[in-house]
Order: sequence, then C-alpha cells, then structure tokens
Amino acid sequence: MTSLFRRSDLHSLAAPYALDALEPHEHKRFEKHLRRCDSCAAEVRALREDAVRLAWSTAAPAPAAMRDRVLMAVRTTPQEPSAFAQPPARAITDRYGERAPSRARRSGFSPFLIPLASTTAAAALVVAALFGMQAARTQDQLAQERAQAREIAHVLAAPDARASAGRDANGQGMSVVASASQRTAVVTAAGLGTPSDGRVHQLWLMRPEEKPRSLGLLDGDTPLIATGLNTNATSLAVTVEPSGGSVQPTTAPVVQLALESVGFGE
Amino acid sequence: MEADELLVLVAGGDQKAFEDLYGLVSGPVFGLVRRVVRDPAQSEEVAQEVLLELWRSAGRYDPGRGSALSWVLTLAHRRAVDRVRSARAAGERELRMARRSNGPAFDQVAEEVEAGLEREWVRRCLDRLTALQRQSVTLAYYDGYTYREVAERLSLPLGTVKTRMRDGLTRLRDCLGGVA
Repeated sequence: MTSLFRRSDLHSLAAPYALDALEPHEHKRFEKHLRRCDSCAAEVRALREDAVRLAWSTAAPAPAAMRDRVLMAVRTTPQEPSAFAQPPARAITDRYGERAPSRARRSGFSPFLIPLASTTAAAALVVAALFGMQAARTQDQLAQERAQAREIAHVLAAPDARASAGRDANGQGMSVVASASQRTAVVTAAGLGTPSDGRVHQLWLMRPEEKPRSLGLLDGDTPLIATGLNTNATSLAVTVEPSGGSVQPTTAPVVQLALESVGFGE
Repeated sequence: MEADELLVLVAGGDQKAFEDLYGLVSGPVFGLVRRVVRDPAQSEEVAQEVLLELWRSAGRYDPGRGSALSWVLTLAHRRAVDRVRSARAAGERELRMARRSNGPAFDQVAEEVEAGLEREWVRRCLDRLTALQRQSVTLAYYDGYTYREVAERLSLPLGTVKTRMRDGLTRLRDCLGGVA
C-alpha cells in the first residue's frame, strides 16, 4: 500500500465521518488526519452541515419533566474551562486563524455557580496551547468527563432526583444532586481551594447517632459521585485531613450541607 | 436571541441564557435523538445528557466554524449513535429489528412527528436521491449504522457505499440549499 493510496483512502472517509458512520479506530485515524489537512477540514465541515439538515425533519417537543431535570442539573454542574474565554487563551488564534471573541462576564451572577476554571485547568490550557496540542489534550479528559456526565444524568433520571446548594460568606460551599431511591448523590465542592502541606479535603456523610462515614476525597471542583448512601443521613460535611484521608474526621467541618431538602433524613 | 449568541453567554456561565438556549434546541435535540435511539426512556436519557454536555462544554463552541445549531445537533447525533451502537453490541439488535420490521423507519416517524415544512422539504429532497444514495445516507444517519454495516446490509462494496454517501449528501445540499 503506497502512502498516496492511503491518503486518498483516508480522504474517502469524509462522508462517512460526517454521518458518524466510522468504526471507532477509523474515526480516530481520520480525526488525526483532519488535524493536518486543512482542505479536508473544510470539506468535512460542509458535509457535516449537509448531514445536520437531515436532523431538521426530526424535531419533536421534549418531555416537560426533562426541562426541570436539566435546568436543575445545570445549577450544580461545573463547566469546562472555555477554550476561548479564559485569559491565558485570549490572545491565541485557532488553527483557522480566527481570533476568538472575548466574552463579557454577565451581571446576574448566581451565588450557586461553581467557578469556571481552577488554576490547574487554566495552566493546562496554557501548556496545551504552547505545544499546539489543544485537540490532543481533550481525548482522555473528555472521555472521563463524559463518563461523569453520564453518571450525573443517571442520577438525574431518577424520579425523585433533587438538587440543593449552599455557600457561606467566603464563597465556600457545596452543591448536590441526589436521589434517595437510588441512594446516590453527585457532590461538587466550590471555593475550597487547596489545603496546604499536602493535606486533603475529605467528604463525610453525617448520620444521627452514628459515626460519620467517609465518601471519599474531593479533587477541586470535580464532582464526586457517592453511592450506597444511608437514607437516614442528615448532612454532608467536608473536613481538612492529612494526606490520604482519615478514618474519622480529625478537624471541624469547613463546610456542611443539609440533605433534608433532597429527600434524605426520613 | 439566536442560538449562536446564547451559546457564547452560556460559556460564560449564564444560566438564564442556558434556559433560553434550552428552549431553542431541546426540541431538535430530543427529536433527533429519539429518531436514532427509538426507545423513549433511553432517548430522554441521552437527550438529557447532551443538553447537560452543552452546558459543560459550551466553551468549546467556536462561532467561526459553523452555526451553533449544527454544533449542537452534531453533538446530539454522535451521542445518539454511540448509544444505539452499544445497545446493539449488548444484544438488543434483534429486538430492535423486530420493532422495525413493519415498515421503513422513515414512515414510522412520519406518524410520530408533526408534519412540518422542513420535514416536507427534507423528505422531498431525499426522494430525489437514487435509492442507493438514500439508503446509504439514512441507514447511517437515522439508524446509526457504520458504513461497513451499511455495505453489508445493502450487499455493496465499501467503496461504493462511501461514494453514495458523499453523492447523497452533496445532492441533498443542492436540493435544500435554498431553505435555510
């Protein structure tokens, strides 16, 4: 097989790619090719627009309950750092030479909103941009985020899914989406920062007349999915613990969130 | 406000803009996902996932590279196809085939979906394709088959299917060009 043939062979995959009709290994290979081939990118874009026209004929009203679920989830789900709006990326033009538009911060800022980007995420963006590997950066990460989004969606799909969030005056707080029937909760911490000296933030389930139960260590604003929750639980609490976490809390909680409003504690 | 502008606001964390965006795209997203996934409960789950992903990754939308609606529907289609393929891989294939056996999928949907001008146009334009172009395109896009599976189902060489897909899409563009 000559390299010329291989290239034209790859090129013929543009239409199946636009229709999402490639096998996973071909899909990966073709996307790699796309990054190097500007004319292919233009062609794929045009074919994709064509394919999307097929979607025009399928619109149907979404179930009303779905709206509530999604809007509820949005209140507690952190966003990926924007590839275009973050200060480190502002001056960078994309591969088509288009400068990204700047985005003004809107005024009605919700107190429950989770910060868009942690320092680490912003730093990762800079590194990625410097080495021109923005596209490569996302593969694993995206897969991980998607898996997470799927778990969150799963919790939300429970008929009794509810959300709650709270923050103190310092902007530290937690958001939770929980389903008592599935005994599952998606917990996101906000504004906690990173404890010094390699210590960690640990999440606890507080129960009446019982010892707190560890739900795991929190990693920045990454949502933590807690399963097998006890339905008599009254609140969630975060403490600062030595590296690796503790068996029982050794310090007073930095933040706490009641679970009553999400259907627990009965 | 148009979806393009809203998506930019959403990327900045604007929840009100997301509500407006939801109003614009939830119907197209849900309809497309249901067309591909078929099962109502699963469709709702996938559509929900897609809409939540819009919130999470709105910052990845680049207005210089196409309309917001097409970005959104591209994402929705990919997730729907992923779901349908894993369901097939998990052995639900036969059940799905049985469900479909009483007529071409396109006609089934005609009963479910309110007839609209756009639907009529797409249908008319699909009718203008050759049978092989139409089948290649719709088996892939509406039913989530890979081009290899399409080739197998239509007993055609792979190269022919790839060409039919490309020709089909291009002819669709010519036909639908005027109705944006």
